[in-house]
Amino acid sequence: MKAYLGEFEELVLLTIATLGEEAYGVSIQQNIETRCNRSISIGALHSTITRLEEKGFLKSWLGGATQERGGRSKRYYEITLAGKKSVTESKSLRDELWSLSKAKLSTIK
Amino acid sequence: MNSHPPKLARKIFEWYCGKAKVEDLLGDLDEWFYLHVQSKSLFRARVLYWKQIFLLMLSYAIKKRKRDAQLGQYSSSGFSVDMLHNYLKVAVRNLYQYKYFSILNAFGLAVGMSVSLLLIALVSYIQTYDTFHTNRDHIYTIVSERTEGVEQLSWAIAPVVLAEKLKQHPDVREVVRIRAGFQEEIRHAQGMIPLRGYYVEPNFLNVFTYAVTKGNAAVALSKPNSVILTESAALKLFNSTEVLGKTLELEQGGLMEITAVMKDHPINSHLKFEVLVSYATLPSSQASMTNQWIYFDFQYLYVLLSETGSEAALQEYLNTVATDTYAQLPIKVKFQTQHLNDITMGPDYRQAIGPKWEASGMIVFAVIAVLILLPACFNYTNISIARALKRAKEIGLRKTMGSEKNQIFFQFITETVVITLISLAGALLIFFLIRPEFQNSLVASSSLDLSLTPRMIFFFLLFAIGTGLVAGIFPALYFGGLNPIQALKNKAHAGSSGMRVRKVLTVFQFALSFGFILSLVVFSRQYQYSLNFNFGFAKENIVDVHLQGVKAELMKAEFSKLASVQSVAMSSELMGLSYSKTWVKNMDKDSAEVSQLFVDRNYLSMFNLTLLAGNNFPDETWQRERFIIVNEEFLKHYKIETPVEAIGRTYQVEGNELEVLGVVKNFHFASLRYPIDKFFFRMNPERFAYAHLKVNSGDAYSMFTEFENQWKTLNPEQKLLADFFEEELNEGYSSYIVMIKIVGFLGLLAITISLLGMLGMVVYTSETKAKEVSIRKVMGATVYSLALLLSKDYLKLMLWAILFAVPITTTLFYFLLPEIQYYSVSLTPWDVLFSAAILLGLGLTTIASQTYRTAQTNPAETLKGE
Repeated sequence: MKAYLGEFEELVLLTIATLGEEAYGVSIQQNIETRCNRSISIGALHSTITRLEEKGFLKSWLGGATQERGGRSKRYYEITLAGKKSVTESKSLRDELWSLSKAKLSTIK
Repeated sequence: MNSHPPKLARKIFEWYCGKAKVEDLLGDLDEWFYLHVQSKSLFRARVLYWKQIFLLMLSYAIKKRKRDAQLGQYSSSGFSVDMLHNYLKVAVRNLYQYKYFSILNAFGLAVGMSVSLLLIALVSYIQTYDTFHTNRDHIYTIVSERTEGVEQLSWAIAPVVLAEKLKQHPDVREVVRIRAGFQEEIRHAQGMIPLRGYYVEPNFLNVFTYAVTKGNAAVALSKPNSVILTESAALKLFNSTEVLGKTLELEQGGLMEITAVMKDHPINSHLKFEVLVSYATLPSSQASMTNQWIYFDFQYLYVLLSETGSEAALQEYLNTVATDTYAQLPIKVKFQTQHLNDITMGPDYRQAIGPKWEASGMIVFAVIAVLILLPACFNYTNISIARALKRAKEIGLRKTMGSEKNQIFFQFITETVVITLISLAGALLIFFLIRPEFQNSLVASSSLDLSLTPRMIFFFLLFAIGTGLVAGIFPALYFGGLNPIQALKNKAHAGSSGMRVRKVLTVFQFALSFGFILSLVVFSRQYQYSLNFNFGFAKENIVDVHLQGVKAELMKAEFSKLASVQSVAMSSELMGLSYSKTWVKNMDKDSAEVSQLFVDRNYLSMFNLTLLAGNNFPDETWQRERFIIVNEEFLKHYKIETPVEAIGRTYQVEGNELEVLGVVKNFHFASLRYPIDKFFFRMNPERFAYAHLKVNSGDAYSMFTEFENQWKTLNPEQKLLADFFEEELNEGYSSYIVMIKIVGFLGLLAITISLLGMLGMVVYTSETKAKEVSIRKVMGATVYSLALLLSKDYLKLMLWAILFAVPITTTLFYFLLPEIQYYSVSLTPWDVLFSAAILLGLGLTTIASQTYRTAQTNPAETLKGE
C-alpha cells in the first residue's frame, strides 16, 4: 500500500468525486455534513484537502470571479488519477474483506 | 439590513496570512456567512464566522499556504547531500578566486586558534588524570578547612587519626592512610641518589590500580622498612629490575628491604612517587591525641566507598565527627570529601600531594584564549560582510531560484567551516611550534603529555567547527536575510549599524594590542628595575656554597686558607630569596610571627649591613643561643622609638629567652614581591646550610676549580654546589623573563590578528574606492593626499583605541604592579607614549603599504574599463 488513506481523507476524496465539477470548499463541506449527519470544522476540512494535495490525490484551480461572495473566486478541486487509484485500492480491499467475512455483515440493519 | 461578515475578523485573518493566497477561503467563509444569516440570527452567523476564521488560522492548510508563499517556484525545503556538495564546491571556488582574502582570513584564524588549541590539549589531557584506577568512581580524598584564629585556609591534608572514625562508617570499604614526604638520599657506589615517595598502608594497592610486576603485592607493605620500587627507580639505583630482596641504605642510617617492584605509574596521576614505603616504617606517633588532631602536615586520607555508598552520607558523617572532635580544641577544622576525578583540576588547596592544575589558572588561560580567538573570528565576520557586494548577485539569484533563508544561512556556515578547517591546519603548525616552550614554562610539565591523541584531534575538529559557527553566524544571517531584488540590483549594503559595531570592535582589538605592548614595556622595565635594585646589602663578589652536611667550622677553616677567599660567613638561607619564620613572644605574651635568618659573626660585614645600634654577634664558641639582631621594622612593631632603646630587651623565641644585641638598618631580606617585615638574625650553627665566600674579582674558572678541589677533601661523595650570589639573586627574578615571553608571544598574536583585520579592510576600501582615487588623481590630487584620504579613517580608529585603552591599562597597572611585586616601577607617560608609538608605527606601515600602492596606480588602468 503506497500512501495510507485515512477514513476522513477517503470521505473527502469520494465527496469531491461525487460533486464532479462543482467541488469547492462550501459544497464539499455541505455535502459531507448532510450525508454523514455530522458537523465538520472548516479548518479540519482544509487541512485534509491540503494533505491530499500534497499526496498528489487532488488537484485544484481557481475559478472565475463570482457575484455572491464579494467577488472572490472559488477554488475547485478534482480527483487525480493517483487519487482514483487510491480510492479504488481502498475499495477493493474492503470488498475483499466483505466477501471473506464469516460473520453475516449485510444482514445487520 | 447590515448583514456583512465581521470586518475585523477578516482583517486579522488577512494580516495573519500575509502573502499567502487565501482568497478562495475568504470566499467560502462569506458564502457560509450568508447561508447562516438566512437560517440563524445575525449575531450567531457572526460568531460562527469568527470561529471559522480562528479554526482556519490554526489549521495546517494555512500553515502550508503561508510556507508556500515564502518560497519560489522551485524551492525544496528538504536537506540534500547534493546541495551540500554544491555549497562545498562554491565555497572552494570562492576561496580560490579571492585568494588574497582567503589567505588573510585563514592566517588570522589560524593565529587566533593556536592558543585555544593549547588550552584544549591541556584540558583534554588533564581530564584523563587518574582514569587508570579501576575503582576511580568510588575513591574520595578527605580535605580540610582549617580555622586558626581569624585565618581560614583550605588544605589537601587531613589528620590520619580520622581514619579510625571513617572505618566506623558503614559505606566505607577501605581507608588508606598516606604520609607524603619520603625524601631520602640512598647510598650508592657513585654517591647519593635521591629517592622520593610516600609512606602508604598495605591496602593502598587494593584501592588504587598499579601493576606490581615482581613480588607479592598483598604482603609487600605489611612489615616496617619494606618498600616497593618503581621500575625506573630500580633502574636508577641498580641498573636492573631484578632487585627483589635487595636492601636500600639510607644516608641517615637505616636499611630498607625491597619487597616488590611495580611498573611506573602513568604520568597522568595526581599521586607521584618513585617508591612506596610501608606505613609501618613510620614510628608510631608520640603526640597526644589532641595534637594529632591539630598538627597533621603531609597526612592524607583516601576512602574507597562501597558500590552503593553515598558521598553525601559520608560528608554528613564527617561534619558530625569534626564538630564533636574540635569542640574543645583551640582550632576548628571542617572535613570535606573530594572525588578522585576532581582533585587534579579542583580548587587550590595547600599542601596538595602531587602536581595540580588550579582551576583559577585555567580560567585565566581560557579568558586569554578567548581574547585572542574572538578578534580573529571578528575579522572574518567583518571582512565577509564588508565584501557582501561581491556575493550579492549569487545570493540574489539563488533566492530567486527558490533558495530558502536557512539554506543560504547553511551555505555560508559551510563556507566558514571550510575556512576554519583550513585554519586548523595552520593553527596546528603554530601549536607544534609553541608546544615545547609552553610545556617548559609550566611548573608541572613533567606530568603533561600534549602529543596528539585521537581524542584530542576530535576536540580540535569540534573546536574548528565551533569557531566556524561563531565567525560565520553574522555573515550567514546577513546573507540569508538579503532581499533578492536589492541583491540583484547590487544595492546590498552593510547597514550603518553594522558599521558602528565594526568600528567598536576594531577599536577594542587595537586597545587589546595596546595593552599587550604596554605590558611588555612595563614588564621589561620591571625586570631591569629588580636587577638593579638596591637591596640594602652587598651582592658583588660573593660565592654561595651549599654545605650539604659539611660541618660549618670545618668549611670555614679549610676555605679561609684559599688565596682567592677573603672571608667566610655562614647562614641558613640565601638572603633575598628565602627565609624562615618563627613565633616570638614579648613580656606581655603577645605573639607575633617574625622572619629570621641564622648567621654567624662575619655575615653582617660581608653583606655590608649597617648596625644602627648595639653590637655584632660575639665571637664565642657556641654553647646556647642568647642573642638576636633585629631590624627597624621589628622596632616599629614593638613600638620602640629609637634603636638604642631596643638593646637589651628580651623576647621568647622557641622557649629561649633571647636578648636584642643590635639593630640593623632595614634591608630586603625577602624577595621584592613582599614589603620588608619584622625580622631578626639569630646565631645557631646547627642551622647553617650555606657558606658565603667573599672572593677577589678575577678568573672565576680557576677559582671554582680551586673550590672544587678543596671541596673534595671535605665531602668526596657529593658535588660542589656553588654559585655567585648575584647570579642566584637575578635568577630569582627570572619569572619576569617567562612573563615577558608569554606576554610578548600573546601580544604578537593579538597584534598580528588586529593588523590582519585592518589590512583586509584597507585592501577592501582601496579596491572599492579605486575609481574615486583615479578620478581624483586625474583632477590633480597628489599621491600623498590620496594615501591620507584612504588611511584617515583607520588612523582615527587607532587613535580612538589608544585613547580608550590608556585609562583602562593605567588603572589596571596601578593595582596590578604592586600586587605582582611590592617594590615595583610605576607607569610613566613615557611607557604609554612609547607603546602608542609602536602600535601606531605598526598600524601605519600596514595601512600605508596598501593605500600608497592604490594611490600610485596609473589612473588610466582603472578608468579605461568604463
